[in-house]
Amino acid sequence: MGQEDNKNQVKLRKGDLIKHWLGGYSQETCYNYERLQALGSTQAIIPVIKRLYKTKEERARALKKYMVFFNTEPSFIGTVIPGIAASMEEQAANGVKVTEDDINSLRTGLMGPMAGIGDTVSQGIVYPILAGIACSLALAGNLAGPILFEVCYKVIMLTCGYTMYMVGYKKGKTAILGFLRAGTLNRVTEIFSIVGLMVIGSMAATRVTIMTPIAFTVGEVGINLQKVLDSLLPSMLPLLAVLAVWKLLAKGKSPTYVIAILFIFGVICSLLGILSIPVTH
Amino acid sequence: MLSAILVAIIATLSTWWVSHAITRTWLYPLWSGFLVALAMGEPIIGMKAAAYIQLTYLGWITAGGTMPGNLMVAGVFGTALTILSGADPILAPTFAVPFSLLGILTWQAYMTLNSFWVHKADKYVAEGNLTGIRMMNWIPSGVLSFVLNGIPAFILVRFGGDYATRALASIPQYLINAFSTVGALMPALGIAMLLMYIGKRKIIAFFFAGYFLTVYLHLDTMAITVFAAIAGVLVYFFTVDNKNEGV
Repeated sequence: MGQEDNKNQVKLRKGDLIKHWLGGYSQETCYNYERLQALGSTQAIIPVIKRLYKTKEERARALKKYMVFFNTEPSFIGTVIPGIAASMEEQAANGVKVTEDDINSLRTGLMGPMAGIGDTVSQGIVYPILAGIACSLALAGNLAGPILFEVCYKVIMLTCGYTMYMVGYKKGKTAILGFLRAGTLNRVTEIFSIVGLMVIGSMAATRVTIMTPIAFTVGEVGINLQKVLDSLLPSMLPLLAVLAVWKLLAKGKSPTYVIAILFIFGVICSLLGILSIPVTH
Repeated sequence: MLSAILVAIIATLSTWWVSHAITRTWLYPLWSGFLVALAMGEPIIGMKAAAYIQLTYLGWITAGGTMPGNLMVAGVFGTALTILSGADPILAPTFAVPFSLLGILTWQAYMTLNSFWVHKADKYVAEGNLTGIRMMNWIPSGVLSFVLNGIPAFILVRFGGDYATRALASIPQYLINAFSTVGALMPALGIAMLLMYIGKRKIIAFFFAGYFLTVYLHLDTMAITVFAAIAGVLVYFFTVDNKNEGV
């Protein structure tokens, strides 16, 4: 590296960057336990390497460093990493002293934090809010539910992913440090968590559709237990169910264990006539 | 026959993530199940089944290639079986759960066997063979996913119809009721898992705000989202000053 004359500078074109960014969405196509997204990120950066190096040997050497263990959130936030890698590759090809180790230590250093933020944004916020709204529509028989989910999810994903990639490319490693230090992302995450919490609070009231069919008579008066509960607090049983499961999870029980518990509990309560679903759900 | 082929393709792609630009949402039962519903010509029933399955798995986070149950398999197979058997969509989670557990095995097989193609790709990288690298990224993993997910899905849809209908008919009504109750209870898990994830102490009151706005004012999800967004914006601007000005 670094033998090229300053007059023969190779610049990456916009098209190369877009190919690299989009190629990153195939980072998990050959997902595997051994090196996770290694092959995927190598494959993604091919357009960049192709532009910067002309011979097979140079290309092979440049690509080899990407075949190491790599795993991050590749769609929303983690795209900043290939963005930075592209800018470092460009500098290296133009004689700036950037070693393979520089590139890889940066990538492995960022992959954890970016996965943490990216998974929170994508799987902890965007997905549940959209899916929550879409499920409500779908269960009401409205075909707009899943379609809305698909369209909104992809628009948000591609906008975030593209922006982060370009920020990474243009500002290099300083971008991400400033970004993290300002704490803006944490605050934005918190705001979205608030939206998420209100949506799932609403879902706790409407989507857990259990009720009790218990009814008995005291003297002349018939008592319907569900009506009594409703007058105390509507949807009390669904809320209790959610809080009970939350308690189990907080105690460290696995989701699979909770599924088994819910299954046994639901079957027994139904057979004993304690719980049922509303007649028209 | 056509629907069996389409469902096999959906099952293959829901695990073999060709490009997240397309298949990122195929991971989720709501969308993959909806595609199955379209392929099988039962959009409404299938969509409802998919939504019930989705609610069960709402809070399942997959990170670093590990997942507590295979939600791709749960969404595709659970929806297909619900449509095949003609069952009420609320039974879908009960059908989906066994598939999601079996699916852990196929997922582990997929993630383990894919390592071979990476070794093969190492050689192509050393040779500077760019086409070879690309082929290794896409082709063998796709074939593998087709074998692990596509073929079973094809068999289920092509040959499972009669069997599923008969099996459902042989389940007594009191057990159907029991399974429906389980199905109604399952979303509690999805919601509670999200609470684990985003329910930090200082903002947990918003969960109850959403709950009470719904039970007392009967607001729907869209309305809740609007008010939640307003609350979020207010919180953002009312807290930013404290930090910047050191008040």
